[in-house]
Amino acid sequence: MSARKNPMDTKLQENPEKRMFRIPDLRQGIKRIMVSEYFVLYLSILWFIVMLPVIPNIASSRNLNNIFDFIWPLLAVCVGQTLVLLIAGIDLSQISVIGMTSVIGALFMSNRIDPNVLSDSPLWGTVISENGGIMANSMWAVPVGILMMLLVGSLIGLINGYFIAKLKMPPFMVTLVTQLFVYNLAIFLTKSNNIIGIPKAFTEIGKGKIGFIPVAMIITIVLCVLSQLLLSKTVLGKWIYAVGSNVKASVVSGVPRDGVIMFVYAFSGFCAAFASVIYSGRLEMGRPTLGQTLLMDIVGATIIGGTSMFGGKGKVLWTFFGVLFFVLLTNVLNLFNLDTFTINIVKGLIILLAALFDVIRTKIQANDTKVEKAGA
Amino acid sequence: MSKTAIKFKLAILKNTPFILFVCIFIIFGILSPKFFQYENFENIATSASYIGIVTVGMTFVLLTAGIDLSVGSNMFLSASIAGLLIRDLNAPIWLALLCAVLVGTLYGGINAFFIVKLRILPFLVTLSTLVAGRGLGLLITKSQGVTLPESISNWGAVRVVGLPVPIIIYAVIALIAHLFLKFFPMGRQIYAIGNDPEAAKKAGLNTDRSIAFVYIISGLLAAIAGIVSVSQMGIVNAGFGDGDEFDAIAAAVLGGTSLFGGIGTIFPGAVIGTILIQMVQAGLVYTQVDMYIQPLIQAAVIFVAVFLDSIRSREISKIEKRHIRVEN
Amino acid sequence: MSEYILQLKNISKYFFGVPALKNINLELRKGKMLGLIGENGAGKSTMMNIIGGVIKADEGSMVLKGEEYQPDGPGEATDAGITFIHQELNLFTNLSIEENIYISSFPTIGRLPVISKGAIRTKTRELLDSIDLKLSPDILVEKLSPGERQLVEIAKALSSKPDIIIFDEPTTSLTARETKKLFELINKLRDQGISMIYISHILDDVLNLVDDIVVLKDGEVTDKGAKQDFSIQRMVSSMVGRDLEQMYPERTSKPSNEVVLEVSNLSQSGTIHDVSFKLHKGEILGVFGLMGSGRTEMARIIFGLDPYESGEIAVDGKKITKSSPQNSIRNRIAFVTENRREEGLLMHSTILDNIQLVSLREYAKTILKIVDSKKVTESIKDVVKMLKVKSGPVEKTAPKSLSGGNQQKVVIGKWVMAKPKIFMVDEPTRGIDVGAKYEVYTILNQFASEGSGVLIISSEIEELIGVCDRILVMSKGEIVGEFSASEFDKERIVGSAFRQNVRC
Repeated sequence: MSARKNPMDTKLQENPEKRMFRIPDLRQGIKRIMVSEYFVLYLSILWFIVMLPVIPNIASSRNLNNIFDFIWPLLAVCVGQTLVLLIAGIDLSQISVIGMTSVIGALFMSNRIDPNVLSDSPLWGTVISENGGIMANSMWAVPVGILMMLLVGSLIGLINGYFIAKLKMPPFMVTLVTQLFVYNLAIFLTKSNNIIGIPKAFTEIGKGKIGFIPVAMIITIVLCVLSQLLLSKTVLGKWIYAVGSNVKASVVSGVPRDGVIMFVYAFSGFCAAFASVIYSGRLEMGRPTLGQTLLMDIVGATIIGGTSMFGGKGKVLWTFFGVLFFVLLTNVLNLFNLDTFTINIVKGLIILLAALFDVIRTKIQANDTKVEKAGA
Repeated sequence: MSKTAIKFKLAILKNTPFILFVCIFIIFGILSPKFFQYENFENIATSASYIGIVTVGMTFVLLTAGIDLSVGSNMFLSASIAGLLIRDLNAPIWLALLCAVLVGTLYGGINAFFIVKLRILPFLVTLSTLVAGRGLGLLITKSQGVTLPESISNWGAVRVVGLPVPIIIYAVIALIAHLFLKFFPMGRQIYAIGNDPEAAKKAGLNTDRSIAFVYIISGLLAAIAGIVSVSQMGIVNAGFGDGDEFDAIAAAVLGGTSLFGGIGTIFPGAVIGTILIQMVQAGLVYTQVDMYIQPLIQAAVIFVAVFLDSIRSREISKIEKRHIRVEN
Repeated sequence: MSEYILQLKNISKYFFGVPALKNINLELRKGKMLGLIGENGAGKSTMMNIIGGVIKADEGSMVLKGEEYQPDGPGEATDAGITFIHQELNLFTNLSIEENIYISSFPTIGRLPVISKGAIRTKTRELLDSIDLKLSPDILVEKLSPGERQLVEIAKALSSKPDIIIFDEPTTSLTARETKKLFELINKLRDQGISMIYISHILDDVLNLVDDIVVLKDGEVTDKGAKQDFSIQRMVSSMVGRDLEQMYPERTSKPSNEVVLEVSNLSQSGTIHDVSFKLHKGEILGVFGLMGSGRTEMARIIFGLDPYESGEIAVDGKKITKSSPQNSIRNRIAFVTENRREEGLLMHSTILDNIQLVSLREYAKTILKIVDSKKVTESIKDVVKMLKVKSGPVEKTAPKSLSGGNQQKVVIGKWVMAKPKIFMVDEPTRGIDVGAKYEVYTILNQFASEGSGVLIISSEIEELIGVCDRILVMSKGEIVGEFSASEFDKERIVGSAFRQNVRC
């Protein structure tokens, strides 16, 4: 029923809200905290404090360093995933991009390659040899290697984006297939072997410190800040939120939907490659299977942070909190000496909880609008 | 575009499974004449049977426009439990197998609970249970292979009426599922839900019940598939069932089942899709394709399947749209 | 038992205090057909939803077959013998005719949960025979024409052996021949003693088919009686008869002769056919048509949201080669869609985000495309002030918390920011209150007086007469009439839209 309402209706619609605030019960309080931006940060702090008397080790400087070492590269991947979730998509191929770009980087930078290990590789003799990779011992090896890693990562993402935007294929299926394909391609290129001989200049990115601040931290924070600026300050960022909130309205308003989608997936691939730089540097090798165990961590941490799977809602800062919480949680499980299997079970459950939480939050917010919806 | 051109396009898109089947058949046949031997077909069919069983369940799920990524882990977990019951507790085989089936069904039930009751996206739910299920399986088996007694591993090779048992089990399941989807009220209602969930609700159908049902069936069939697979391999190792969900999805979609729901059949669809997938795998072996390239080709096949499905759905909706507007 | 099978007594319904139905009294005679007419939003669908058990009346009562009738959900309405034929079809295209008819209650073999193919086939065949539809029951619905689908819906409705069938615009998707067939069927059903309510915009059809007529306007019954007492004239005036009070602002400017938008021979099969018109600078041009007349489709094509097969669109005399929303925005065309919620607003974002969306690019001149948020916020505040949007701070308030009128102003504001020279608005005042309507008209007026061309699509004729310089009438995808301000006459315009429908 629609057409005619009298001028009274503005007033009348305020009523339900007033009614909501009239009951200052516990549920309202909980609701308020649950929809708060900092909810996950509070949760992380609470978790830390509660665990402190149980395992005092958690606060040891070694463990704290450990925690932060985990946080930075994971955060970098999750930033990409955040943007994808913002447009109501999902990128399951990031984990394979990490492995693939790890191999790509090594193919460029490695200074010596053991023929016993890699002479079966289809690239042996052309791209790589005993003397190392394409740019072995060149002063440009590291910058070019990193550039190629980022480029390949972005390219894989762009391909995802193309199929999702132009051919309207379901995102999870497209990225699942690229995950499979890219992973197996990396395995094929290396015959499942690691490539060593990475220059020190590269490994420093993963392990080095400037003063007492890890390089990984600095570059990841720069990535985060730039991403957040992109989201909140630029035209593109506003388009991303718009596409995630309401695709139809965005298209009517002249937002280039396909371009936005392709950019976001390319960026997601970029972030995965970015993390791969850190991970590979720490390992001092190019490893095709790198990242394969991370899927749950990436999706879980991002969703826990509060970025909605339904699109249009999320921030890089939230993702930071999500990663913090996720890493703290797994850290404690590790300190309890639980095996990886149990940890995996817990991770699976955590994601379900996070997803459930997202559904509840979305519902709480939808309830606020229900009243008005029924009227229109 | 003229009407005949549209019809032609639709005819091709709707019959892709058969066209692909023939193409792949011919390609491998040319590349390796051995491909045409009877033993080869029997081998393909035998090794296809467990994937075929999973694909039947997957088809049910896909018909409602859902997805079940957890079937591989489900196979692993339920088969592990059966193996452990027999090995460590000396449980009678029938009891162990029954337990495995129950575990698989429960597994599906958990998926259904999260999807129907808590309204979480199916792919996320089943992705989580994929990880959690495998974790649980590895935990109880201490990530070591569980060998099953010969009494089980033998009957994988037993023949009844000249056919290996796995093929017979698969045939029976496929037949029941086919009849269910065709002749049972709920079977038809599953199609209705996949076609238009809103209209299904308006028509008074219990959509929640049907959706829960398909995930439970998928879990049940995954467990049976696990048992069938074990009967052929004799051991449940840590990688058991890993990645089988992809084969099942690919088989279903290659067989013409749509990821967007409402379209798909067990026979010929899922059956042809399964054979197709298995044929590609066998063909790759026969033509001696590099071990490392095989998974790349398989991934490409899955991609082609999903790609064709998207194009088909888009074309159909375009034509439908035209229909609706013509009369306005 | 009385001669009435269904009676509504003093039914009222309020949505958040706003009356949608006021004291409705209505009687359906047994074995007769009642025609229900009224403009969009007159309350027809609310009434049908109450009868169908979808919503509950706030006041009043219903009597069905001499007994109190209080349906709790659509299922109870069906059980009580009332079924609906909706405007939009609710069929599953991937299933056969027989399966669609029995989807929620398949006949089974004994107690087994197995569909009795024999029973379903015979039953369906009987049903199809009874409505004279010569189709095999096992044919898939996707293969049927829209007309055939409509008949399948009727067969489905008949399968529950109803006493009352309610038709809601059943002919919108039918060809003339199919319509004729439907009417024959309806007459046959009446002969069998089934009572019917027939809702339609096509007045001739109503006059031909029904026994009694009820006219709804603004949630009230304004006229009712036996068909014999009605003429098209009387129906139209009862439907729209309202004095034009001070509902519309005075026009302050005159249109110029300069053409800002020219559409020539625009066609897209199935939606619009050979549409040509000119929009002048400073002109407010109205497009009147019923739902499904192609008016919205035309606007979407002009704006570049949908493709077109032939014809030309020219802005300021320049032919548009590649039509897309982005290009249209570059050409300073604005388009306020008819559906605010789905295509207009980012409901959960802020007002600021909504209003800046179209013109973001203009506020980001640097290479990095960083939005000058200070400048944009200032402009938005100006727009909000000019449009008199009543809301909290624009940076924090989300459209979801606004009233319909203010939501619409936010959508308009989004386009005002882009300073359009062609302003297309589709149903700009749907679902908003009188005060807000007046303000919307004022804004459009102002744009016209500043030299923009304004195109208003509406199904409320008074609104168009109140604000337009010229009105085009669309029907079945074609422009069937043009009226200049001096020729404005409600009944003639409405008649031209309605009657055209009957002729073809």
